[in-house]
Amino acid sequence: MSVFLPSSGSYVNIMASSAGTEKALSLLRRLPRVGLSNLKPNPGAHRNKTRSRGMNGGKTHGAGSKGSGQRQNFMRLGYETGNNPFYLRFPCQNYYKGHHLKLSYIPVCMGKLQMLVDTNRLRTDIPVDLTQLVATGLFSVRPEEKEGGFMLEDDGMDHFQTRMNIEVQWASEAVIAAVERNGGTITTAYYDPIALGAACNPMAFFKRGVAIPKRMLPPQHLIDYYSDPKNRGYLADPDLVAKERFILAQKYGYELPDIKSSPDKDMLLERKDPRQIFYGLEPGWVVNMKDKVIVKPTDPVLKEFYAS
Amino acid sequence: MALSALSSARSLSRLLVKNGRYIHTTAPAASFKSSVSLEKIYPESGLDMTRNIQPPKNEGINFSGYIPVEQLQVSYSRSSGPGGQNVNKVNTKVDLRFHVETAEWLTQELKEKIAEKYKSSITSDGCLLIRSDKTRSQQLNLADALDKLRHMIHTAAYVPPLPSSEAVERQRRRHEAAVRERLRKKRDRSLVKQSRRGPESEF
Repeated sequence: MSVFLPSSGSYVNIMASSAGTEKALSLLRRLPRVGLSNLKPNPGAHRNKTRSRGMNGGKTHGAGSKGSGQRQNFMRLGYETGNNPFYLRFPCQNYYKGHHLKLSYIPVCMGKLQMLVDTNRLRTDIPVDLTQLVATGLFSVRPEEKEGGFMLEDDGMDHFQTRMNIEVQWASEAVIAAVERNGGTITTAYYDPIALGAACNPMAFFKRGVAIPKRMLPPQHLIDYYSDPKNRGYLADPDLVAKERFILAQKYGYELPDIKSSPDKDMLLERKDPRQIFYGLEPGWVVNMKDKVIVKPTDPVLKEFYAS
Repeated sequence: MALSALSSARSLSRLLVKNGRYIHTTAPAASFKSSVSLEKIYPESGLDMTRNIQPPKNEGINFSGYIPVEQLQVSYSRSSGPGGQNVNKVNTKVDLRFHVETAEWLTQELKEKIAEKYKSSITSDGCLLIRSDKTRSQQLNLADALDKLRHMIHTAAYVPPLPSSEAVERQRRRHEAAVRERLRKKRDRSLVKQSRRGPESEF
């Protein structure tokens, strides 16, 4: 198996120390995940409680003396002999149900995007994604505050005249039309909190010296959004996206520009893999900014893991 | 390793750092494909979002829904109504027109139907005119105008289904029953009015 040694800056193979360790590791690989369904105590660890009888368990038979404990004791847990019990005093409010799962997105309107391009604050000759938008210095994304990234709003879409390849986390139909009518491409992509943190501040991430993680797939309530070609989701079928582009052009009344004949064709069609965080970098690589090297795993187990 | 700014070769991977310069790396990951890449999720797909979609054709009275936007004349002007500086300066009103007779994308039957049903929307020089200033946005107003046009063509092309022979028979029977009842009531009323008259004098 391989281990990363920071001193030499490479992955090194080491032999297993003993047969016992190997046996334990092989068990770990074979057996299913430990859970309540496959755990039981050692034999003899649990003794069933029986009511005390006879010579040394007699007289009160384990029921104590007098009171409701020794007598007919039927009161349920929480019962307060008739008054409104504590657990029923406060009604269940659903105002914040599931709030810890909901993400918020930073709004970027089309007018502002056009302004950034006009003032050369945002380059359009490379694909624009999360990292580029944060690098303008005008936006900050806080994954710890349950922010999911950027959403593109349609304010000022009439004045939008840029051909760009943009990747955001949410976009409305009018915004998609505004981008596509100018000959650009738009994709909506999901970044899990760790990937989001890495993408928003790549330099701080590389300084940590950890391998680039795999970007996780969206949670259940978001996977439909990102698999829908209407939203230009990154997990949608590109053939269906082509059809939706045609339909949207018909709906909004513009002639669909031909990307194939555009000079920026390669840039406009450049897409990240669903597991990639940065353009040009794979999961598993360690970027060393000090020595200006990229360190890649050699062990097949690690390679297989990062490609999965 | 030296920093090389603005490397233009497609094969080099790029990493944009905050100060705007690039780092040149060997063996780029442009072809990184994980187990959830689009090829794995959609193995039968061509994975081409730029493929040409053939627009559907109109056949006879059936309108396919496709409108070639390049053959319409779109003009913009300022909208009416309140709105201050925005409504005074921004061209959000959309005028959509096309000459019905010479439109190649409509069949002859459709043209006739449109000319008949929407003659009030057709100008003196034969252009069908559609206006929209519904929203604050030119783009959305254009979408609204196209929606109106599509709706107009669909309603013009709509041929209500002929009633079935049972329905026709039912209608005839009911009409005749109504007529019979009306005449019966008329006769009854007449008898009542006659009975209220006095006897006719002989002289």
